[in-house]
Amino acid sequence: MLIIKNIHAKVDGKEILKGVDLTVQPGELHALMGRNGSGKSTLANIITGRDNFIVTSGSITYNGNDLLDMPIEDRALAGIFMSFQYPVSIPGVNNAYFLRAALNAKLKYHGKSEVNAADFMRLMREKVKSVNLDESYLSRAVNDGFSGGEKKRNEILQMLTLEPELAILDETDSGLDIDALQTIAEGVNNFRNKNRSFLAITHYQRLLEYMHPDYIHVLIDGKIVKSGDIELANQLEKKGYSWLEA
Amino acid sequence: MARSIEQFQQQFDDLLAYWPNEDQELRKLRSTAFDQFKNLGLPSKQWEDWQFTDFSSLKEIDYRLSRAEDLPQLPDDITERISNTYLIFMVNGHYQPDLTDIPESISVTTNLDYFNSNKKLYLDYKNSNPFSALNTSMMNSGICIALDSDVTLDKPIQVIYATMDIVDPIMNHPRFIFQLGNNSEVTIIEHYMGSTDLAYFINPVSNVIINNNAKLNHFRIEADDPLANHIASTNYTLGADSQLNSVSISSGSKLFRHNIDLTFNDKGGYANLNGLSTIKDDQHHDQHIIIEHFKNTCQSKQLFKYILSDRSSGVFNGKVVVKEDTKQTNADQANKNLLLSPEAIMNTNPQLEIYSEDVKCSHGSTTGQIDKEALFYLQSRGISKSKAIELIINGFAKDIIEQINNEDVKNYIDNKVTNWLESVLIDV
Repeated sequence: MLIIKNIHAKVDGKEILKGVDLTVQPGELHALMGRNGSGKSTLANIITGRDNFIVTSGSITYNGNDLLDMPIEDRALAGIFMSFQYPVSIPGVNNAYFLRAALNAKLKYHGKSEVNAADFMRLMREKVKSVNLDESYLSRAVNDGFSGGEKKRNEILQMLTLEPELAILDETDSGLDIDALQTIAEGVNNFRNKNRSFLAITHYQRLLEYMHPDYIHVLIDGKIVKSGDIELANQLEKKGYSWLEA
Repeated sequence: MARSIEQFQQQFDDLLAYWPNEDQELRKLRSTAFDQFKNLGLPSKQWEDWQFTDFSSLKEIDYRLSRAEDLPQLPDDITERISNTYLIFMVNGHYQPDLTDIPESISVTTNLDYFNSNKKLYLDYKNSNPFSALNTSMMNSGICIALDSDVTLDKPIQVIYATMDIVDPIMNHPRFIFQLGNNSEVTIIEHYMGSTDLAYFINPVSNVIINNNAKLNHFRIEADDPLANHIASTNYTLGADSQLNSVSISSGSKLFRHNIDLTFNDKGGYANLNGLSTIKDDQHHDQHIIIEHFKNTCQSKQLFKYILSDRSSGVFNGKVVVKEDTKQTNADQANKNLLLSPEAIMNTNPQLEIYSEDVKCSHGSTTGQIDKEALFYLQSRGISKSKAIELIINGFAKDIIEQINNEDVKNYIDNKVTNWLESVLIDV
């Protein structure tokens, strides 16, 4: 599904990724761990297409297509979603209006008929409950005045609504209390099936305990230095990252 | 004497000759005001409050006063009519009573009639700049709407001042008087529009008097033609515990200048002033606002936004003056601007002059481009770049449009803004 080969990438002229290889198959949940600055978020941003991240060599294909060639919105329409580490607030843009526009763009892309406002609101009333958000969030502006936890729940709400094939969770657990963490982990777990894949970027073992990843990768200085199963996360929890450094 | 002043002199003389039997006091008022205009001349770059705006376009063309023969074939239906409103219609300066539909509870009169019964209102009016002096001297159209005390109107009044199908570059100097008696409540839409290929000059003065405990919603729509010059003064006088909610939309005209002067005449007044300018090509829109807090317990809020595309330019100059010894003044002032093009220019100067201790004031101004982070966020959800930009710009305009507390007017303006956006987003 997602095949990353020997990716090198720069941000502001500085090389951050120095040869990353990663393959994600349908139904798999991969966790990406590593210190701040190791390149985790850079990888997420390259997959989603943020423009100040420059790929200098390597390739990424998604379902056989050259992902790096695709415009940002086409990547999303093809099934990729990122839960942002720092979701931006967009004053004046209504959450429900925005999300319906996004859903309809996707439906249209897949040749399906668009959802009308009434049906969409019915759908949303169900979805907001599953992430413990109040219905009033739908009528507020996107992330405007939201607390950190509300922003993260809103990201998951969007994921549940847009139903991506590949969801990248960029530190979705950071800054959350345990209740919120559980809500989000449950949201993700209920959403998992044999076709949907996840790439979860995290610093914490706790999220992984809830989510049961299939693979764990450790990124150090722009390279994946070790991959393993949940046992690797346990080791990191005890020993930190230094034992993996060359 | 500059050629443009000579041209105005010629027009002024013609006007006096055209109405030889006018009231002597009115004639004197006109002459005094015209002398004042001649003494002042047109603003130049050396005038501090006018320095960012070039009025040379008024000198390039000889505008003549609109005449009776400028009345065009009247339209069968008025496309810009907003639903559920009373209508007052003027075209090329000519009031059209047949197209006007208003309830009996309000008085609608021409300036000539109103002058006869309310001379003091005209004689006391202080021309604060050359254009308001020019208006007083050549007042040739406009309408006076007066509400008695304790009158609440069920629907808004839409006052349309249209310029259409003209054969020469014409000018008009409409005077509007909106006067609300104590405890009255009304919504007035002051709507300028154009439909012609020629340049024209429109120089309205609106004198708005809101008496004690009265409430006015004043929505001003400037949708003149791309070649128009629209130079306006609006003067608000607020009585005790009165309320003003004002939204001024400007989108037409190559040159637009609007001076808003607001005075609280008594305690407890509340003024909420908002503006949205959506401009493109070579349009230049300039707004100067002065709010005088000379009485106790008054509140004012200003929020003016500009969306500038292409090579357009904007000026915002807002001033709040709080006189010494006034108590419990609240005054907020904000100007926010969105530049859609690297060639667009915004000049902004929010000012506070506070001579009293007992005040809560804020002011600020921001000018920026479309937030790239917001754009990426929306695109990453599958929304196309052009749709994402449209969402962001609409979001920027939204808090102004939300101030329009009438659904029909709000929808009308919302559609206008959306249409404007579509016209500028074709290039994105």
